[in-house]
Amino acid sequence: MKPSRIPLVTTGIVLAFFYLPIAALVAKSFNSSRFSPEWKGFTLKWYERLFERDDILAALVNSLKVALIAASASMLLGTCAAFALHRYKSRLQDAHRMMVNVPLVLPDILMGMSLLLLFIAAGVSLSLATVTIAHITFCLSYVTLVVLARLQDFDPNIVEAARDLGATRLQAFVKITLPILFPGILAGGLLAFTLSIDDYVVTFFVKGPGSDTLPTLVYSMIKKSKELPVINALSTLMLLFTFLLVFASQRLTRPVNR
Amino acid sequence: MKRRHFIATSSAALAAGFLPSCSGKSAKPTLTVFTWADYLSEKAAAAFEEAHGCKLVIDTFDSNEAMISKIESGATGYDILAPSSYAVKQLDTKGLLQPLDHSKLPNLANIDKAYLSHALDPEMKISAPYMMAPTCAAYLKSKVPDAEPSWGLFSRADVKGRATLLDDMREVLGAALKSLGHSLNSTDPAQLEAAAALAIQWKANIAKFENEQFKSGIASGEFHLVHGYAGDLIAVQQENGDIEIVIPREGASFPCDDLCIPKSAKNVDLAHAFINHLCDAEIAAENMEWIGYRAPNSAAYKSLSEDFRGSAILFPPDELFAKCEPIGYLGDKLPLWTAAWEKVKNA
Repeated sequence: MKPSRIPLVTTGIVLAFFYLPIAALVAKSFNSSRFSPEWKGFTLKWYERLFERDDILAALVNSLKVALIAASASMLLGTCAAFALHRYKSRLQDAHRMMVNVPLVLPDILMGMSLLLLFIAAGVSLSLATVTIAHITFCLSYVTLVVLARLQDFDPNIVEAARDLGATRLQAFVKITLPILFPGILAGGLLAFTLSIDDYVVTFFVKGPGSDTLPTLVYSMIKKSKELPVINALSTLMLLFTFLLVFASQRLTRPVNR
Repeated sequence: MKRRHFIATSSAALAAGFLPSCSGKSAKPTLTVFTWADYLSEKAAAAFEEAHGCKLVIDTFDSNEAMISKIESGATGYDILAPSSYAVKQLDTKGLLQPLDHSKLPNLANIDKAYLSHALDPEMKISAPYMMAPTCAAYLKSKVPDAEPSWGLFSRADVKGRATLLDDMREVLGAALKSLGHSLNSTDPAQLEAAAALAIQWKANIAKFENEQFKSGIASGEFHLVHGYAGDLIAVQQENGDIEIVIPREGASFPCDDLCIPKSAKNVDLAHAFINHLCDAEIAAENMEWIGYRAPNSAAYKSLSEDFRGSAILFPPDELFAKCEPIGYLGDKLPLWTAAWEKVKNA
């Protein structure tokens, strides 16, 4: 029997669905025309302008800083919360579970506004630090749920076995529990990173002078800027960087001996 | 082992990212400006920093409403705001702005009197006009023959399904009010009713209400007639010579963004110096060519390049300019407008 063509075709469609818009963006970053969808000639002027634009690069650095800190902090706090939710069953933990879930469905605008009001009431001046705190707030729930899911598949007997064999609590945690949970924690962290790096609504409300992130700057550029294609150039470079990173991590994590 | 090594290096990179986030305080005074992105030329900014030994910090917003809600909630740290005129009025109504001290602003003498006569703050008590550009109609000369410069273009049968209007209550109902001979900011229920009826007629003829795609749409010829902001349309016209931009003869909106100082500003003197700097003739001329908008600054007009000064869109003839209006603040009359707009959107 001939193998079915269906998997090949669906794969093709899915890949096209993912990558055609990206391909269009990459092509547009080299198009000398700003508006026309047609090809009006190859240019590197958007790339040149990008490297002259300190504000865009500063916003990029801000975005990366916030996303890295928010992802790491929410990985740490989210894992703790997941442990608490998994280990203890009580009314308090039921309330905890509910309160972890609420931010997932809370509209961004509500969260942004309430955080802004909180910061103002507490007398905290708005800056990159307030943006980071806000991002940790909304990333936390996601990380907690991802780690919790991993914990539910986790067999506690392994830890007990380790303890029987003489491991201390700490050793059992570091050598057994953590490595098993790590993929879950990392997945939560990556999710947090992507959520943070493209958040606009919450960021707008809690940012202070000089703490524009890439999304807030881009939204504003849409209104008056003549240099919007610079963003296509930046996106292309970020895409390239992401591909390199994924490629490198696949190389590094590949088993050495087959 | 390699995996562990990778994780160790990447966490070291993570840690390195944390450290620079705490910035030291510099001795230089800073002036923070809350404005639109790319709305101040690099030269004008550098000249100010040099002349006053200070550092400019730009923070951006992308809608007047979002900015107002933020300032109204009590967000501080901004010395200058640059919203549209109606938003200045709204901020002032809420008591969030401080009056300008004209003794520190000698360059306000440069401001265009013809503009001030119909500005929302004609005496510049709380704001100084910064940049303005009209909202226009643009069409393809080859597709819309014998086009009259009028809002009536949007009812022409030959643009059916090939035209767009902005998805903006103030612009569309404003245009309809103008073509009926009323004020753009009318709050007369009967006039609004008539304007909504006209807008409904237009709606039946156009492809859609649209704020973004009109640029690429007319550049590629997909749309033959669009309603859009002059800044964008002029840039599109440079890529497609078939495009003609017009300010309809009935008049159009000519919104202006103004500079104002919030009550919570810390560097009030420096903020005044900044406004004065931007109203300087040479600075204003360079700044407006860079941004592509018109600063209502009579003294600056003579320093402009002939090309820029010759634009019939940014510098319409006096008669036509007199018919244009800024978008006003509606205050408690806003529900009248939203009701009329609902009617248009649901028609």
